[in-house]
Amino acid sequence: MATKPVEIVVNPREPHFVGDGFRVHNFIPSAYRLDMQRMDPIIMLDYNSKFYFDPSDTPRGVGVHPHRGFETVTIAYKGKVEHHDSSGGGGIIGEGDVQWMTAASGVLHKEFHEREWSKKGGDFQMVQLWVNLPAKDKMSTPKYQAIENATMSRYVLEDNGGEIEIIAGEYKGIKGSASTFTPLHLFNAKLHKNALATFDFPKHFNTALLVIEGEIIVNESEPVKEDQFVLMANEGETFTIKATADAIVLVLSGEPIGEPIAAHGPFVMNTKQELIQAFDDFNKGKFGYLEE
Amino acid sequence: MNSFNFKTYLTSNIALDNDSIDDLMLHCKQQQIYKGDFLLRQGEKCKHSFFVESGLLKQYTIDEKGKEHIIQFAPEKWFISDRESVYFDNPSNYFIQAIEDTKVFVLDELFFQELSLSHPNFLDYNNRLLHNHIRHLQKRITQLLSATAEQRYLDFIQVYPDISLRVPQTMIASYLGITPESLSRVRKELAQQFQK
Repeated sequence: MATKPVEIVVNPREPHFVGDGFRVHNFIPSAYRLDMQRMDPIIMLDYNSKFYFDPSDTPRGVGVHPHRGFETVTIAYKGKVEHHDSSGGGGIIGEGDVQWMTAASGVLHKEFHEREWSKKGGDFQMVQLWVNLPAKDKMSTPKYQAIENATMSRYVLEDNGGEIEIIAGEYKGIKGSASTFTPLHLFNAKLHKNALATFDFPKHFNTALLVIEGEIIVNESEPVKEDQFVLMANEGETFTIKATADAIVLVLSGEPIGEPIAAHGPFVMNTKQELIQAFDDFNKGKFGYLEE
Repeated sequence: MNSFNFKTYLTSNIALDNDSIDDLMLHCKQQQIYKGDFLLRQGEKCKHSFFVESGLLKQYTIDEKGKEHIIQFAPEKWFISDRESVYFDNPSNYFIQAIEDTKVFVLDELFFQELSLSHPNFLDYNNRLLHNHIRHLQKRITQLLSATAEQRYLDFIQVYPDISLRVPQTMIASYLGITPESLSRVRKELAQQFQK
């Protein structure tokens, strides 16, 4: 199989706050060459690089807001988030956990630092992705997949090299914990210094890496530092990641859905008419109700 | 957010040749302002009208108790001004402030005068805009005097379909002339109707 080369290494953009609890660098869709089509089906990636939050008795976060037409995936590296939604669901996303929310036809939700964590404060580090849904599933029933770190699928690397947490998709025959609507691989590669891991994805899958911690070399030639994002080219299939320091790397690869994208604010649909409908449904209470 | 170029807006509504547009543009300028910035403060004379290319503005007054009352929101493609101050040269009773980072086209009165003289069809268009504004204000007065909180809210979402996601509930309540608690109740009741 041919080598999949690096297309571009992207530095984190200036951070901005989402609500008052998430200090994020947006990579998708606002970074150069990372629009919604380029990384389809991953249409948004916000990265809260490691950031210290002071203790606060009032938890910081984002108040009630809707989503329709896609899934949100929250990956917690440091800190804890508490969430609630209009269907009565809720829970806590702790360190190492992943919350996979299929907003689909529509939910209202809110996300705050977990109350007890907030009182103590500390380092906070998370990724939130939006995974697009194919047109036929955009209006399906919302659902949650809470994936706790302890139960996550894992592949242990040889020679004490570390492990690959398989959030979704498949790595070397081991299936991921989350179910997805379209083919999508999502891994946390936790590599010890000098460990080498190999990845194979079809060339047409849109593929990227985000270095959460440490330093790596991709394909033995491209050094990448902490907090940098790597867009892989749509050619070749195989690439390697070598850790030059203990490292955590988020690996993303998905088959493009290839449908038209009409996006505005928290709604991602296929047509402008469907967006107008989403605003109208939200305004009229069809997403339900959730106390602020 | 969507962005609307003022020139495109003008030429899509009025037949104008390129030379006329360039002449007219001498009487206006583009201005970038940031969230929290003011285009007008109470007590000042308003000299301009503003066309929002991108972003969101609010026009409001503050009563003797310090409470804010929002008269109008101006998202993309809306005009906003204090016509009393511009036309009658009175000090303004209003603030115009950016709720989001906003790009406006700043139009002075000469712009409207020149356009009216050189392009009679602009007069028709401007008349329609003015009458539409009066219709909107009449409806606002009637609603504030007699409509229920739910009726006011349902009308608001027709006029401003995406504002409810761009501003805090307190601003919507201020525009509707109801308390934030009443707005919350209206939204809850609407959601319950749907759940039944």
